[in-house]
Amino acid sequence: MSDSQLTFTLATLLGAVGVWLLLPRGTARGWAAGAVLVAIALGLGASRMLRLEDWVADGVFFILAGVTVVAAVATISFRDPVLCAIWFGLSLLGTAGLFLFAGAQFLAVATVVVYAGAILVTFLFVLMLARPKGRATWNRSSWEPVVSAATGIVMVGVLSMTISDVLALRGETGRPIVEAAETAGDRAEGVLADQHVALVGAELFGRNLVAVEVAGTLLLAALVGAAVIVARPRSEAQEPPAAD
Amino acid sequence: MDTIKTLLILIPALPLAATLLTAVLGKRVLRRQSHWPTVLAIGLSCAASLVLVFQVQQGIHKAESEGPSPQVGYEKVVTLWTWAGVDGAYAYSTSEPARGFRIDVTLRADPLTAVMLAMVTLVSLLVAVYSIGYMHDDPGYWRFFSYIPLFVFSMTMLVSVSNFVLLYVFWEAVGLCSYLLIGFWFQKPAAAAAGKKAFLVNRIGDFGFALGLFLLWTTYGTLDFHDVKLAAGGEGTAATVVHHETEIVEDADQPGLVRAGVLGQTMLRDRALYVTGGVATAICLLLMLGACGKSAQFPLHVWLPDAMEGPTPVSALIHAATMVTAGVYMVTRCLPLFLASEVALQVVAAIGGFTALLAALTALTQTDLKRILAYSTISQLGYMFLGLGAVTLLSAAGAVAGMFHLFTHAFFKALLFLGAGSVMHAMGGVIDVRRFGGLRRLMPTTHWTFLFGCLALAGIVPFAGFWSKDLILAAVGEQAYSHALDPQTQRLYYLLYIAGLLTAFLTAFYTFRAFFLTFYGEERIPREAGHHAHESPRSMTVPLAILAVCALVVGAYFELTHGFAHFLEQAPPLAMIAAEQATAEAGAGLGQSAHQALSHWWVAVISSLIAAAGIALAALLYLGHPQRVERLTRTLDAGGLYRLSRGKFFFDEIYDLFVVRPLQAVASLSFLFDRTVIDRLVDGCGLMPKRIGAALRPLQNGMIQFYALAMVLGLLVLLGTLLTM
Amino acid sequence: MDPEIALLHNYLIVGAVLFGIGMIGFFSRRNMIVMFLCAEMMLQGVSLSLVAFGRFHNDFGGQMLVIFIIAVAACEAAIALAVVLMLYRRAGKLDVIVWQALREDNQPAFEEEALPEEPPAEPWPSLSRAGLSPEILPEETDFRSRL
Repeated sequence: MSDSQLTFTLATLLGAVGVWLLLPRGTARGWAAGAVLVAIALGLGASRMLRLEDWVADGVFFILAGVTVVAAVATISFRDPVLCAIWFGLSLLGTAGLFLFAGAQFLAVATVVVYAGAILVTFLFVLMLARPKGRATWNRSSWEPVVSAATGIVMVGVLSMTISDVLALRGETGRPIVEAAETAGDRAEGVLADQHVALVGAELFGRNLVAVEVAGTLLLAALVGAAVIVARPRSEAQEPPAAD
Repeated sequence: MDTIKTLLILIPALPLAATLLTAVLGKRVLRRQSHWPTVLAIGLSCAASLVLVFQVQQGIHKAESEGPSPQVGYEKVVTLWTWAGVDGAYAYSTSEPARGFRIDVTLRADPLTAVMLAMVTLVSLLVAVYSIGYMHDDPGYWRFFSYIPLFVFSMTMLVSVSNFVLLYVFWEAVGLCSYLLIGFWFQKPAAAAAGKKAFLVNRIGDFGFALGLFLLWTTYGTLDFHDVKLAAGGEGTAATVVHHETEIVEDADQPGLVRAGVLGQTMLRDRALYVTGGVATAICLLLMLGACGKSAQFPLHVWLPDAMEGPTPVSALIHAATMVTAGVYMVTRCLPLFLASEVALQVVAAIGGFTALLAALTALTQTDLKRILAYSTISQLGYMFLGLGAVTLLSAAGAVAGMFHLFTHAFFKALLFLGAGSVMHAMGGVIDVRRFGGLRRLMPTTHWTFLFGCLALAGIVPFAGFWSKDLILAAVGEQAYSHALDPQTQRLYYLLYIAGLLTAFLTAFYTFRAFFLTFYGEERIPREAGHHAHESPRSMTVPLAILAVCALVVGAYFELTHGFAHFLEQAPPLAMIAAEQATAEAGAGLGQSAHQALSHWWVAVISSLIAAAGIALAALLYLGHPQRVERLTRTLDAGGLYRLSRGKFFFDEIYDLFVVRPLQAVASLSFLFDRTVIDRLVDGCGLMPKRIGAALRPLQNGMIQFYALAMVLGLLVLLGTLLTM
Repeated sequence: MDPEIALLHNYLIVGAVLFGIGMIGFFSRRNMIVMFLCAEMMLQGVSLSLVAFGRFHNDFGGQMLVIFIIAVAACEAAIALAVVLMLYRRAGKLDVIVWQALREDNQPAFEEEALPEEPPAEPWPSLSRAGLSPEILPEETDFRSRL
C-alpha cells in the first residue's frame, strides 16, 4: 500500500467516525470529539493535496477549500434546519470562490446570485412557513447514521484514492499518463482569456443554443408544475391550516 | 395462355372466389341471397369442365390423326408456380448428384381428371341448386354456401393437381370441408361427435397415406406425377414439363436432364423403372390405407354412417358422390404403382369385395333411410375397389369399370340422397323408415325419381348402375378365369366374384326394402311433419329430375357407344395397360376377345336375374303382410344374425373396446402423471420466485433514503470491482 | 509537477469530498429541506469537478454543463419546494419517514426511537400567513409599547 493510499485510508476511517459523531443522534454528546476527528481527517487529506505554482495560490486554494468543506460538514451536522441552510450558503460561497479561482468568473457570480441569492432564500422561506414549535424529533435524530456515514466516507475515500493514483500514474517514458494537450498559452486564449464572459456567452448561445432553449422550456414547465402542485382546490382552501 | 390452362385455372378458382365472397359478405350483405355466388361459380366451373372434356377429346383426336403417338396416353401439364423447394435434399445414389425437393404447383389435364372434374362440378351444381330449397330457413344459410364452394374448390384441385404433396394437401382440404359440413349443425352433440369421428378415423388413413408418400419420395426421389425437364443449371432452377400434349420435348443436347415423375411418361414407357417386391407392396398398401380412410372401406368405414348427421345435400355431395370417391380416384391414378405389386392389387380387390358384402349385409336391417344409403355407398365404393383390384397388366377393364361405376354411382347415389332429403324435408326431419309410409301420392316427383335411383342402384336394365356393375363383375370373372395357372389366386377371385353377385342381390333387396317402406303401404306421416307434408319446392325437384334422367341415361349411352371407356383409356395410367395389352395381343393372336364377349353376356344375364330376385323378395316381404317380415326376423334373430346386422356388426363397439378404451386408459394415466408430477414441478418452479420474493421483500421498505443508499452501495461494489481489476 | 495537473487533482478531491458529504446528509438527515440542501451540495461537488476538467482541457463544455446544472437545480428547487409544502400540509411534519407508503404491504413501518425531550429552542423569526392579521406575541407587545 502506497503512502498516499495509507493516508487516505486513515483519513477515511477517522472521517467516518467523526462524521458519525457529528450527525444528530438524539444527543449532543461527542460532537467536540467528532469535530476534532473530522479536522484531523481533513488535515490528512490536505497533506496529500498537490502544490500549486506558488504559495499565494496554495494559500488561497486551501482557505477556499477549507471554508467549503467545513461549511458542508456543518450543514449536515447542525440540528436546526435554518442554521443548516445558512451553513450551506457559506459552503456555496466557498464553492463560488473556488470557481473564481479556477477562472470561471461567470459561474462564480451566477452561483452566488442564483443559489445563494435565490434558491437558498426560497428554502429559508419554506423553512419559516413550516416551522414546528419546539425542537422537532426529526431534526434531532438521523436515519441510520452509522451506515450513512460509513458509506459516504468510503465513497469519498475510494474516489480520492483513485483520483490521486490515476493522476500520479507514469507512462514508460516517465511522463504522466494524464497530460493536457493544451499549453498555458492556449488557456490564456481559451478558458482563461480576458474577455471571459463574452466567450462564455458566445459558447452558450452558439454551440449550446438548443440546450439553452430546452432549459428555458424546462424552467417554464417547472414554474407551471410548481403552481399546479401548490394551488389548492377551492374546497380545500376553506379548511383550517394544518396544525403541528 | 392456351385454352386448357385457362380452363384448369378457372375451374377451381371460381368456387374459391365464391367461397371468399360468401364468407366475407354472406352474413351481413347477402343473407338469404348467399346462394348466388355459389351457384353461379359452380355453374361456370361446370361449363368450363365440360369444355375441358371436349378440349381433351380434341387433343386425343388430333394425336390419333397424326399417326402413332410417341406418348403413352394423353396428358397436358401446366406449371403455375413453385410453391417450395429445397436444394440437394435427397441423394438418390452416389453416382448421381443430389436431388432437390421441389413442389411445383402443377395442374394436369388428362381424361381421368376431365371425367372427374365434369362429374364433380355437375353433381355439385345440382346439389347446390337443391340446397337453395333444402336449407332455405336455416340460420347458417350463408355459412353453408361458403363451405360448399370451398369443398368444390378442394375437390377440383384434388383431381387436377399433378403432384403427390398437393394431392395430399387437397386430400386434407376435402377432409376439412367434410368435417365442417358434417358438424354443420354443431349445436347438435351427435353432429359434433360425428364430425370428430370422421376426422379422427380419416387421420388414421391419412397417416398411412403420408407414410406412403414418404416411402415414394425415398424410393423415387420425386413426388411429381409428370416428368420434369431440369434446367441446364441443374437443381433448383425453374422446371418445365417435358411431355407437352402429344409431343415429347426432350432436349437433344442434354437427354440426361430429365427427372422421371412417379407416373410420368418415362416410367410409363419403360415399366422396368418401377421398383417391385416388398417396397412396392408397402407403398401400395400405405396408399390403400389412405384410400380406405377417405373412401370408407373396411376397416375404416365406421365414420361414413355417422357422417349422415350433416345436412342431406352434404351427404349427397360429399359422402356419396364426390369426396368418398377420392380414394378410388387416387388408386386409379396410381395404378402403375399397384401393378408393380400383385399382392397389393389382390388386397385392393379383397378389401373392396369384403366391404361391399359387409356393408350390404348391414344395410339390410337399418331403419334410418340415410344410413341405409350410407351403407349402400360403402358397399358401392367396395365395388369400385373390387373393380380396381381386378386389373392386370393385360387388361384395364376392371379399372375402367371401377371408374365407370364411380361416374354412374355419383349420379344415382346423389339422386337417392337428395330424394331421401326431400322425404326428410317433408317429414319434418324424421328419417326413420318405420315412422312413415305410403308417401307415393303425397310426393309423386320424389317417388318417381327415387324409383329411378333405386333401379339404377339395384342394377336393372337399362339404368346406369346395371352397366357399370356389370362391367365390374365381368372384369372380376375375367380375372378369375385368366388366373387358371394359379389356383390360389383363382380361388380368391372366384370368391370375390361370388361376393359381388351376392352383394348385387342384397343391394337390390335393401334398396327396394327402403323404397317400399317409404313410398308404399298405408299412408303414415309422423307428428313432426305437421301440415308440412307436401312435395318439395321446385328448386329441389328439378335437380332430382335431372339426376333421374342422368341415372337412366348415362350408363346406357356411354356403354353402348363405348365413349367412356375409349376416352378414359387415354388416361396415362390406363393407357399404359392398353399399350401393354396391344403388344401382347399382337404377339399371341386374338384368343381372349371371344371369350370376353361371351362371359360378358353371361354376367349381364345372371346379375339381372339376381337383382330381379332381390326386388321380388323385397316386394314379397314389404308389400305383403308385415307379419311375414316379423316372422322372418324372429327366425333370423334366433341365430343372432339379425342382431349382428342390426348392430352394424358391432364395429363401433369393437373399436371402442380395443382402441378407444385402451387409449382412454393411457390418457387418464397421462393425466394422472401430468397432475402429480408435471404440475407439481411447475408449481415448484412457480413457488421459487415467490419464496425469493418473500426473502427480498424487506428491502422494499418504502424509505427513499434506503433506496439511495442501496444505489450507492451498488455503485461502490462496481467501483471496487473496476479498481481491483 | 505540472501546476495544472495539481489544480485538477485538488479540485477533484474537493469535489469528491463535497459530493460525499452531501450524500451522507441525504442518507441520514430526516428533514426534507435539509435533504434537499444536501442534494444541492452533491451537485456543487460535481460542478467543481466539471469546472476543473474544463479548465484542464481548455474547454468551455465544463462550464456550460454547470450553467445547465444551475438551471436544472432551480427547476428542481421550485418543484421540490412545492412538493415539500404539500407534504407538510398533509402531515404537518417535514419528516421524510412519514412517507413510507411505497413499502411492501406486509413490511413493518420504520419506527423511530423515543428521544429525550429537549427544551424548545430560541424561536427564529417566522412568517405570518399572508392576508391575515399577524399573531402578536406578548413579548412583542412589550417591545412595541417601549417604542
